[in-house]
Amino acid sequence: MLIPLIRRELLDNLMTFRFSAAVFITLLLVVTTTAVLIADYERRLERYNTSIETYRRGLRKWQTYSPGMGRLYVARQPNPLSLFNAGLDKRIGNKILVSPWFVPSLWDAEMDSLDNSFLNIFSSIDIVFIFEVVMSLFALIFAYDALVGERERGTLRLVLTHPVRRGYILLAKYISAMLCLMVPLLMSLLLAVILLATSTSISLSTEDFIRIGGIILSSLAYLSLFYLIGLLISSVTRRTSTALMLAMFVWGFLVLVYPNMIFATNVPQDTAGALASSAFNQIKQIYEQFDSARENFLANDTVPGEAPTFDMESPSGWTSGDGFIENQFTLLYYYWSVISYQDFYDSALPKVPYVQNYHGFLGPRMIDAAEQSWLVRKQALENIFVRPAVIGRMLLSLSPVGGYDAATQAWAGTGLEGIQDFFDAARQYRQAVIAYLYDKEAFASRLWFAADKSKVDWDTLPQFSFERRDISRNANRALPALFFLLMINLFLFIVISLIFVKSEV
Amino acid sequence: MIWHIAKRELYDNLNSLRFALATILLLGLMLNNAIVHLREHPVRVQKYLISITAARNALMARANSLYELAQKGPGKLYKKPSSLHFCAEGGDTFLSRTVEAKHGFWENGNLKSFWRMTYPAAMPNLTNIRPDVTKVDWAFIIGSVLSLIALLFTFDSVAGERERGTLRLMLSNSIPRYTVLTGKFLGALVSLSIPFGLAVLVNLLVFSMSSAIDISIDAWGRLGIIFFVAILYTCLFLALGLLVSARAQQSAVSLVILLLTWGTFVVFMPNLLPSIASGFSFPMSTDELQVRDDDINDKLWEEYFHQIGASKLGDMQAGSKYVTKDAAAQQWLIEERLNQQINQVQGARSITRISPAVILQYLIESFSGTGFERHLQFLENARRYAREYRKFVVDTDRGDSASLHLIGVRGAMSQNPVLPESIPIFEDTLSLTRDFNDAAIDFLLLMLFLMVLLFGAYLAFLRVEV
Repeated sequence: MLIPLIRRELLDNLMTFRFSAAVFITLLLVVTTTAVLIADYERRLERYNTSIETYRRGLRKWQTYSPGMGRLYVARQPNPLSLFNAGLDKRIGNKILVSPWFVPSLWDAEMDSLDNSFLNIFSSIDIVFIFEVVMSLFALIFAYDALVGERERGTLRLVLTHPVRRGYILLAKYISAMLCLMVPLLMSLLLAVILLATSTSISLSTEDFIRIGGIILSSLAYLSLFYLIGLLISSVTRRTSTALMLAMFVWGFLVLVYPNMIFATNVPQDTAGALASSAFNQIKQIYEQFDSARENFLANDTVPGEAPTFDMESPSGWTSGDGFIENQFTLLYYYWSVISYQDFYDSALPKVPYVQNYHGFLGPRMIDAAEQSWLVRKQALENIFVRPAVIGRMLLSLSPVGGYDAATQAWAGTGLEGIQDFFDAARQYRQAVIAYLYDKEAFASRLWFAADKSKVDWDTLPQFSFERRDISRNANRALPALFFLLMINLFLFIVISLIFVKSEV
Repeated sequence: MIWHIAKRELYDNLNSLRFALATILLLGLMLNNAIVHLREHPVRVQKYLISITAARNALMARANSLYELAQKGPGKLYKKPSSLHFCAEGGDTFLSRTVEAKHGFWENGNLKSFWRMTYPAAMPNLTNIRPDVTKVDWAFIIGSVLSLIALLFTFDSVAGERERGTLRLMLSNSIPRYTVLTGKFLGALVSLSIPFGLAVLVNLLVFSMSSAIDISIDAWGRLGIIFFVAILYTCLFLALGLLVSARAQQSAVSLVILLLTWGTFVVFMPNLLPSIASGFSFPMSTDELQVRDDDINDKLWEEYFHQIGASKLGDMQAGSKYVTKDAAAQQWLIEERLNQQINQVQGARSITRISPAVILQYLIESFSGTGFERHLQFLENARRYAREYRKFVVDTDRGDSASLHLIGVRGAMSQNPVLPESIPIFEDTLSLTRDFNDAAIDFLLLMLFLMVLLFGAYLAFLRVEV
């Protein structure tokens, strides 16, 4: 019984103007956007590749360990799935200093070679955004007259004279409309993937295709949600024109107004607050202790001259410096020290063992202070930046647009968690570098600051690599939002069938 | 006769569901806008005042030495926040609030690097992990929401009447068709102006009741212009609605076409076109800037190095030349890059003017004193001030007969302390005449769109078969 009903509905839907319009517009928009985004992605990828090369050369210019620790940068690769949902991928910095001096976090990354910052005033677009706006509109247009239209025309009465269960009629309508809506969705995504595949610089792995599958699944849940909203409106109204008007205003509210209003009312982050300053003071205290230990060490020295060079002289000059860096806004506070010599005058040579001793003392202390302050800073950053962002995201998720956005970001790995993965990897890499330095006993070695006897072999340094987390993790992160979308779907469907069963024809 | 038809339309609309929904939606949005502005604006003004006081104090602290003033420059200059920020946010978070006089770090004996004006980028996104949304300002409410409502008010005005058969009835009377059309247009306009005007009044009422926000006479005038532009923009969409409604056979088809047109022009074009348009030109990159910067340094240093050693006065003259030349060349390089960047943005902005929603956005931005044009005005003010400041240093030095008049060498400049009151102070101003010039093109474009659409609607309605 269900099959003939579906067939009837399908024919009804397929032969309409709205269906052809939906297919045409979605294809047009998705294809243009994908072409623009691919060009943009290729530009970003090229920059990434040149950056890696620049960082490598920048590091290799130095032949001692100490200055290299201020030059060891890692670059964040652009995510190919950011075409689908850009999320934070373009917004967060992509140049991270890995150094014993401090533990890097998302807030310490720089934006490498951003050529025209004015371009930020233009908003950018991604494929999910098109679906958010256009497909939801089409879902409502397909749904608004599904029940009320048939009632007006009297065909509903006709259908109900047959021995058909009302639930079946509803199910048939739902299935056939979803099939129709899937056509533009799948076709446009297919074209987008074909465009992606023809681009030489983008290579998608099998896992990426599964992630795209996840994005499609979320899109379907989102579409179905809007279809059901339309159906609900259609089942409670008496006239088609009323249903249409209501559907359009509901769409305007859910898609245009609600997400923007949530953020307008959400209190902005306050980094100058008490929380921030107390954490910053704590961090400063840690460094005061560190500094007094350093001063103590220096007070007992017998060698004249100032740290970190102790006035060693060299015929070819030297590079040196030390001091504190602070950024109250991101709660960054650390001590840095750089010293590098090519050679020495003979008069400076007796000082060398002492300087070695000093830096052998300083290095581990510097690392300890960095680790200790990170414990405080991590907590504070979590409270000041991450929590408001997560709360905002949760409020946003109460609208279908927000839930859909969150789910697709999780699949694409461009959401906050996906980006944090990268910074976790950078922190792990820092640990590996520190372990390497300890292993080589680098801090107390002559090679830390002097290249007169031998040179640092940077090739033995551990290499940085970052793999995006596997799909199960993506799925795990997408699940809450997806589940929420599906829950509303189910709830709406039950409500609609109850109303429809009870309604008089 | 027009008024009869307009009145009939108006009564039809006033009783309808869409009128009620539109009123609620617009009121809600405008209230939201007002509350947010009330919360944020005093903080913004406070921040500005603290910053300029600090900058002024830092400048005055250098007053005892003309050399210090000449070497370090005027310090940070701040952009004055607009009191009409609630009308258009205009990407202000992405435009820097300051320009800064900075000097290089090199130091050579008694010579030091001189200041040049630098234009730091605002990078609010670098640490911002909150989801990205549009601000609910007037530009958004009018540009996106009001235009959508305008379409919802007109999509069935002809097609719907034809479906119901009332069109035939009306046209059977001896009324010219253009009268019918004008009546419909005016009716829709008035019935849309009521909820919009109400929402605007509530919004402004909140501001005028609050003591924290002060809207000057000038600003009220600007608000009036913005309201007028908003009505013009609404007319554009009403005309579009009438045009499509007259051509479409069914009101449902008319609505689908209108929504798609709306989506393309209001949502997608403003987002998609800038990325395409900004790909046409490539300004100087940071790396290139660095390379050219180093080149200038090397060249001038060599020149200087060859000139010194003859006499003490000759050395000082060469030093003065070196320092001023270096600062001027660096300044020129910075300005060149800035101009390339501005040209890229201007190119992208002119292409996006295909969309009326963007034109409206630019118009509201120029009248509320926010956005990119306003930023350019700020940069222009800062440049003018920089010239004034340089002239002040030279003039003060000339006024001292004991000085050798060699700017850039500490010993060869006037040693007298400078009167703190005589130092020019930067004040950022907004000029209305310039805004009118900027806005003229946008205004004409909007008018052009409106004329074309009105004419189109007229022709389409003339040919309607009943």
